[in-house]
Amino acid sequence: MRPEFETFLARLYTDARLRDRFLESPRDEAERQGLTPEECTALERIDRTGLEMAARSFAHKRTLKVSGRRARSWWKYLETAFGRLL
Amino acid sequence: MADVEAREDTTDRFGLTWQPALAAGILANLERIDVVEVIAEEQFDAPSRAVRALETLAHQVPLLVHGVALGPASTAAVDARRLDRLARLVDRVEPAFWSEHLACVRAGDIEIGHLAAAPRTGATIDATAANLSRAAAVVGSRPMVENIATLMDPPASDRSEVEWISSVLTTSGCDLLLDLHNVHANSLNFGFDSIAYLDCLDPDRIGAIHLAGGCWIDDAAGAERRYLDDHLHDVPDPVYDLLVEVGARVRRPLTVILERDGRFPPMGHLLWQLDRARAALAEGRLRAAALRRPRF
Repeated sequence: MRPEFETFLARLYTDARLRDRFLESPRDEAERQGLTPEECTALERIDRTGLEMAARSFAHKRTLKVSGRRARSWWKYLETAFGRLL
Repeated sequence: MADVEAREDTTDRFGLTWQPALAAGILANLERIDVVEVIAEEQFDAPSRAVRALETLAHQVPLLVHGVALGPASTAAVDARRLDRLARLVDRVEPAFWSEHLACVRAGDIEIGHLAAAPRTGATIDATAANLSRAAAVVGSRPMVENIATLMDPPASDRSEVEWISSVLTTSGCDLLLDLHNVHANSLNFGFDSIAYLDCLDPDRIGAIHLAGGCWIDDAAGAERRYLDDHLHDVPDPVYDLLVEVGARVRRPLTVILERDGRFPPMGHLLWQLDRARAALAEGRLRAAALRRPRF
């Protein structure tokens, strides 16, 4: 697998506009991005439902990371638990 | 007799992933928790005082360090800075072992945000093994590598998930952190038999187990649904059944971690799930011991 293919997959996961264009015409979009004929053929057979659901799940995870809520609360609890020892 | 054999042969350990909401409960129940898993990336930006607290915890209970963002299943080399931070954390905490997912998390300058399944090809096997070798050289020990759950069957794959994982284990020399809920989720989404999946794995390469829960989600049109590994629900019964099967196949001691990232139930309920896991693994161990007993 070429890095270019991997990068295109990552863009499909994260770029909703590209994903919409791609799902409308997978081969045309893949060719426009300079992928090889074999890669274009593989993308024509892509798991469309899975792509949409995976992209939604990844977007949710990115939102959680931006919020940073988990990390902040982690330290709050840890420092509380070990406060006397620190 | 079978009981004694099972106890002598194994020192299985059972524990939880460290979470802020569970901290007090974990510390109050260390007599029922053999090991605690900490997420590596949550420590990287922590103040030194907090890392010292983690070192204190490590004196009370064995720790495991679990990475979620290295992304070794990629044609790109893993990020050297992340590896350095991981190595420093492992040096300080001295975990029983460290682990990482067989996933791609970034490509080019794009952060995907979570664990994406790499296309299952010979090229990604070699690239993943090379990344795991880099990681082992920097950190000082090989990670255990975890199978991931995926909502999408990765395109351009030329082999099954379990074939790909087995080849990565062989090529990299790493052992497997077998996430049974991920096997369960992928079997539901892609229609394979979980038991056949286990049969394809070398049992000697399985060193640890993850358990978790999930739920069904619908696609945007509401026409199709898939099962999401969300760590927000209880471990479903089929996953305990798989743990029995693992116990019947694997002879080495196993570390079993229950992952729960939110919607936390009372600690007693999590401990009850750990007890169910203990019972399931023991049942499998006993079944294997009974088969090994000579028959007259």
